[in-house]
Amino acid sequence: MSDTETASADEAEISASLTRYLHDKLKVEVAPDDDLFATGLANSMFAMELVVHLEQTFGVMIEGQDLKLDNFRSARSMAGLVTRLRS
Amino acid sequence: MSTGVTEETGERALIAGLVGDRPGVWDLAGEIPTAVLRELGRQGLLCAQVPERYTGRGYTSERNGELTAYVGSLCSSLRSVMTSQGMAAWTVQRLADAGQRQAYLPLLTGGKLAAVAFSETEAGSDLSAIGTRITEGGDEVVVDGAKVWVTGASYADLVLVVGRCTDGAGVVVVPADAPGVRIEKVADPLGCRAAGHASVRLDSVRLPSSALLGGGGQPLPLLVTTALAYGRMSVAWGCVGILRACLDAVTEHARTRYQSGRPLAEHQLVVRHLAELLVAEQSATRVSEHASRCWDGGAPDQVTATVLAKYLSSVHAVRGAASAVQVLASAGATDGHVVARAYRDAKLMEIIEGSSEICQLILGQHALSR
Repeated sequence: MSDTETASADEAEISASLTRYLHDKLKVEVAPDDDLFATGLANSMFAMELVVHLEQTFGVMIEGQDLKLDNFRSARSMAGLVTRLRS
Repeated sequence: MSTGVTEETGERALIAGLVGDRPGVWDLAGEIPTAVLRELGRQGLLCAQVPERYTGRGYTSERNGELTAYVGSLCSSLRSVMTSQGMAAWTVQRLADAGQRQAYLPLLTGGKLAAVAFSETEAGSDLSAIGTRITEGGDEVVVDGAKVWVTGASYADLVLVVGRCTDGAGVVVVPADAPGVRIEKVADPLGCRAAGHASVRLDSVRLPSSALLGGGGQPLPLLVTTALAYGRMSVAWGCVGILRACLDAVTEHARTRYQSGRPLAEHQLVVRHLAELLVAEQSATRVSEHASRCWDGGAPDQVTATVLAKYLSSVHAVRGAASAVQVLASAGATDGHVVARAYRDAKLMEIIEGSSEICQLILGQHALSR
């Protein structure tokens, strides 16, 4: 597998792990592209919890410009953020 | 281990030396001498969790918590200034880019004083109603808005202003002397009278875009929750301090004051107050410790644990301070007295950084979502 393919496989796995986490926490089915803020699923407390969860689970630090709404809209965008921060 | 204890004794001696017996005088005057604040700032004690690489003390949340409780036991006004400075530093740590962290954090551990401006006349508990605008254009940002009840603002060199950006929200670091900034002290606040509460008006304040932390565009709820998380932790520990001061004052009084030929400590109804104060102080300490340990361990539960600690500690502080005034009676019923200050200061702690009712809503939702 090329580096790009490995990265996208990782990203898919992270996204899957995040949809499981979201399902567990929010008690509803969450698709990888569901917009958590637009649907009102995420409140501010949960957003903060998400940041801490991502940092602890994937060993990254999310600060400054990375704390943008777009990075937290969905499981897929969070997976993209984690992958980028890890590389 | 012994080094830690020595250091702790050293910093407490330093604080005790700077504070002395003056909190009562500061309370009556509504002012702490700026030299005291700057010296504590230069020692890194107002925001002790700033990492060492930014010339901070690098304390854990738990160690900073014990320090906060100590300062809170002496003077809640000073502790409130400490809460503001720590919240400013934490906000920079979290939201700023690397260059901004390097620029601002050493100022905050070097004697400059900072405040964080959230509330507006129409946006108190509901910060989603914030109307302050941050307009980005080219290499500058323009800030317009009016903030109220900004703790520490009358002393501040820098005010971190929360506002709306084109996309999402942002925090701008505004020098207090920038053209278009007007800071006006709140006249006669109920409690924490010397904490420098002020309103901050911003009329077309133009700043270089480097003043907008992390380039802005962060989600408002996330940004507010991030900053408030530190503030709530600090208030929780500050209330532990209030309870410790009350417990000390009440036990001392109960031992030495005689009524009907016996010390107060032999009157059962007085002893009940003592027992309840002890339970309050211990409960507040334990929940604050737990929240700090969650924070230090990076547990996602820290968010809820912090709200719970803030809620429980402030509610206990309000009740504990009331019973302390009750036991000391005429001996403690003058402004400036430690229990009189505790009585007024504790009530404000039940209001700021998320009122008790807001905390109850958050905790109730948490209970439902488990």
